[in-house]
Amino acid sequence: MTKLKLVDVNYTYSEGTPFRKDALRNINIEIEDNCITGLIGHTGCGKSTLVQLLNGLLFPTSGEVMFDGNNIKEKGYDLKTLRHKVGLVFQYPEYQLFEDTVYDDIAFGPKNMGLPKDEIDRRIKEAALFVGLEERYFEVSPFDLSGGQKRRVAIAGIMAMDPDVLILDEPAAGLDPIGREEILGGIYSYQRKRKNAVVIVSHSMEDMARYSDKLIVMNDGEVFMQGNCREVFSETDKLLSVGLDVPQITKFMRALKSKGIDVRTDIFTVDEAKAEILSKMGGCGNA
Amino acid sequence: MSVPFIKVEDLIFTYDDEDSIDKHYVLKNLSLEIEKGSFVCVLGHNGSGKSTFAKLLNMILSPDEGKIYIDGFDITNPDITEDDLFEIRRKVGMVFQNPDNQLVATIVEEDVAFGPENLGVEPSEIRRRVDSALETVGMSEYATHAPHRLSGGQKQRVAIAGIIAMQPECIIFDESTAMLDPQGRAEVMNTIAKLNSEQGITVIHITHNMDEAVKADRVVVINEGEIFLDGTPKEVFSNVEKLRRAGLDVPQVTELFYDLSHHGVDLPSDILCEEEGAEILSAWLKK
Repeated sequence: MTKLKLVDVNYTYSEGTPFRKDALRNINIEIEDNCITGLIGHTGCGKSTLVQLLNGLLFPTSGEVMFDGNNIKEKGYDLKTLRHKVGLVFQYPEYQLFEDTVYDDIAFGPKNMGLPKDEIDRRIKEAALFVGLEERYFEVSPFDLSGGQKRRVAIAGIMAMDPDVLILDEPAAGLDPIGREEILGGIYSYQRKRKNAVVIVSHSMEDMARYSDKLIVMNDGEVFMQGNCREVFSETDKLLSVGLDVPQITKFMRALKSKGIDVRTDIFTVDEAKAEILSKMGGCGNA
Repeated sequence: MSVPFIKVEDLIFTYDDEDSIDKHYVLKNLSLEIEKGSFVCVLGHNGSGKSTFAKLLNMILSPDEGKIYIDGFDITNPDITEDDLFEIRRKVGMVFQNPDNQLVATIVEEDVAFGPENLGVEPSEIRRRVDSALETVGMSEYATHAPHRLSGGQKQRVAIAGIIAMQPECIIFDESTAMLDPQGRAEVMNTIAKLNSEQGITVIHITHNMDEAVKADRVVVINEGEIFLDGTPKEVFSNVEKLRRAGLDVPQVTELFYDLSHHGVDLPSDILCEEEGAEILSAWLKK
């Protein structure tokens, strides 16, 4: 079901000044529940502006943002509730922690929603489990944690609000391969259990190939491509034409094809590549 | 044989852990030599001790035990003077991870001038150095812009220009590409390679991005405070299993060749880039 819908949305920064900039042009997208949507594009393509429109931190210069069928710009629309239902984890959220203990920091959101104590407690424990944060850290000051752990605390804080739509802006940025997998894997299993809508903003095609169901590719303030992963990834040329980075293995399959080997080029994981190549080898009886 | 530019002997660095009697060893008995003019990548997962190692090299941190020589000069000598420290930090410059944390001025060229000004360089010479540094990093046209309006990659290049203007002999990049998007990353990597090849600056690049490590002359993998692997990129990345155990990835093409060789296909294990791999595999398939 569609949770959020953007209709003909435009957004312009600093209208009427020399710094005027069209950040978004003619955006029409739908964010559905029971789905992980990957939002991909260069820095400056409008991704971060777009996510801020999704929970009413910014309002479009023109066009409509609809949540559950209601226009959020309508007079009297309850924006506070909207922000409880559409949770946004900013980039580098580890810089936003402020409470004395990890537990209190995760509790901040649900507490402000006016939930009873035992429900808050239940949610904190559940969220901590998803992000892989052990309970022995609960009474520790968040400032004594490593960067990766702080980020888990910040993400858990939004998960504990149990939003209908969870948006994460570059949740794995700057982490090493294990850290990336733990964070993204945690978000994945959270979404599969809740069946809510999750939007992940990322630069990494490799990560999105693994974790998202649907992709929205932005370029220069516009929606450049959208569809399921296979549809988007089958058009490598189009992605490369706007300078988006495709996984190395995809470039490799293309290079192989250009050398006269008849292989598929819509491949984004090493396992797929291996299967494809082994099948070619089987064909010539060498393997 | 010439004296190595950096020589590190039996370096030990510990953090005190309040909760336990045991000291937490970040670096244990680390020894390493780095030749003048080389391009070395230091790899390791988060918490492996790689950033601590970097911060020891220009005495932002000082070791518990062990010796560090820069250009033959013992910087761990307890009698070191403030002037000596200034000189070490001029010789060994450092670019950090977050582009927003290291720019101090409100105009790009003033920011680049900050270092030489503090070294007491003549104004006319500062002018010359600033212009030449900005040209080297390809940011001349932004000389009079405000840093906060630049992209991440551009900010990092300004930070690099600020270091170059102090005429260092070595620059340490402490995960300077981690917070950048693919485009910004490529801009910074090209600048780093150029400084090394054209100006002969010794480069120590700390990263967990394998694709970047492939470009170096030498790769040093630090794991649990010790040197785990050390060699050319080809030598290091052919140890697929070992790298995985250290929580690191290998380039996707290397992984593919490794997997294929486990299926009884006789292929080299030190393939790093897609073109080289496609060449070899296509020849093999056409056999």
